[in-house]
Amino acid sequence: MAKDKVALVPGLFTWPADKPRLIGSHCKKCGSYAFPKQAYCGNPDCGKDTANVEVVELSDKGKLYTWAVQVQSPPVPFKMEPFQPIPMGMVDLPEGLRVLSMLTTVEGVDFGMEVEMTTKKLFEDDKNEYLTWCFAPVKGSK
Amino acid sequence: MKSRQVAIVGMGLHPWGVWPDKSMAEMGTFAIQKALEDASLNWRQVDAMVAGAYLWMSQQAGVPGALMGTSITTLLGRTGIPCSNVINACATGENLLREACMTVASGDFDCVVAVGSDRSAGGFFRPQSQDIKFDYDYYRYVMTGETNPAYWAMEMRRRMHDVGTTEEDMAMVKVITSQGGQHNPNARYKRTFTKEQVLGSQMVCDPLRLFEICATSDGAAAVVVMPLDKALKQVKKPLLVEAATLGSASYGDPTIILTYLSSFPRPGVLPYSESRNAVRAAYKASGRKPEDINVVELPDNSCWHYFTYLDMIFDLEYGGSEKLFRKGYFNVPDGKVPVCPSGGFGAFGEATVAQGLWQVVEVGRQLRGEAGGGQITNNPKVGLAQSYGYAGNNGVAIISRAW
Repeated sequence: MAKDKVALVPGLFTWPADKPRLIGSHCKKCGSYAFPKQAYCGNPDCGKDTANVEVVELSDKGKLYTWAVQVQSPPVPFKMEPFQPIPMGMVDLPEGLRVLSMLTTVEGVDFGMEVEMTTKKLFEDDKNEYLTWCFAPVKGSK
Repeated sequence: MKSRQVAIVGMGLHPWGVWPDKSMAEMGTFAIQKALEDASLNWRQVDAMVAGAYLWMSQQAGVPGALMGTSITTLLGRTGIPCSNVINACATGENLLREACMTVASGDFDCVVAVGSDRSAGGFFRPQSQDIKFDYDYYRYVMTGETNPAYWAMEMRRRMHDVGTTEEDMAMVKVITSQGGQHNPNARYKRTFTKEQVLGSQMVCDPLRLFEICATSDGAAAVVVMPLDKALKQVKKPLLVEAATLGSASYGDPTIILTYLSSFPRPGVLPYSESRNAVRAAYKASGRKPEDINVVELPDNSCWHYFTYLDMIFDLEYGGSEKLFRKGYFNVPDGKVPVCPSGGFGAFGEATVAQGLWQVVEVGRQLRGEAGGGQITNNPKVGLAQSYGYAGNNGVAIISRAW
């Protein structure tokens, strides 16, 4: 029987979903965005009223700002089995947020390249496969 | 320091390295004892102490690490003095100096010890809880695998793209700072490196290589401060604390600061704002300008930090530091303004809570002309130390000859 696929840390992206998206927050008053979602708007000049803040699903496409490869395995509590060097990057979303993410690959990537959100398996146990979010370069994009 | 001017009268270090059998309180006691000897003072003459609380509590040290100053009094001997414990990640050192100076400047006390002691040796830093709900450092780490060097590597990649930093520039940082490290008795790595050795070292986080990032180390540092008038009577070479400032980040900073998962860049807000805010405050408090600074100890956690901090400390355009660097401006020991003549983090490694004070001590040694074979050649009168803290904290100190 196929194992359940679950988010390792729930609440950071929509799951299960065909097109998963990061879950952030938006201030209805000043337009600020945050990821992960937070209780108050982070703008010091905006009112501190939790009612101003709504939970939103963020865009699943963005542009690559920079990237690197974590060659060695980070120590526990990080867990990836089997470990493979981790491509990661910073992605600019249309909302104006810049988010941190693993990437599927850095082969052929370039600054400003379009990337699209997907998921990636970190490890599994008897019951579940544990997932994180991940961005993948969109083929043919600059 | 508006009310009373404050000066450093004593400085002490416990050597940096890997010391698995020494408690942090033991190393801190050693550093304080050295600082007291340097000032010809004894522990009974100390009116108050500020101590760095140990950040990595879940791994080791527990309550004695968190209440570090209190633990240290059990070794130096309990004298009943006020003892505060300060936690501010890697900016703790300048924070300690600031609290000690404020305590003296206010007129509350005349002789205050600041001490930072730390056991950080053991590789990549990692989150300190498994609180899946509220520890954003924990879930950032397990979901992205972002170590500190991976963050630095992403920043370095972008800087290479934006301003044309070359692989050779990156390797030469270690070559130049190691010229100081070879002479420093308290350094962990007392050796020089060639460009080929750096470029031949293992890739840790592409594009950063092993010799382009710093180690994590154990060590301790302490200083003793007094009002300037009393300091001038106490020692031959007191060091005036012209500024000891802190900065936190500004809203709209484009940096995805370590421990966080995003930023919300706003027009006109520059990156690394906590560092810009701290250094701007230091220039304002001291009335100094970048051209007044003769020696710098900056947080060269990696070659990326080295260039980035030089841009900010000297108020250069983005990428301006590489241009001056290639001309030998920051060379050790004989540049116009030698940078990290101690050997820097490259030779010492990070000992988080202790390193800000250690940097102040190293600037002090240069100003006092006591750096021996590592003495810089520009007869420095004013120096600056800056530390970069986890999670958006920064500390800066400007000190000068007071004699």
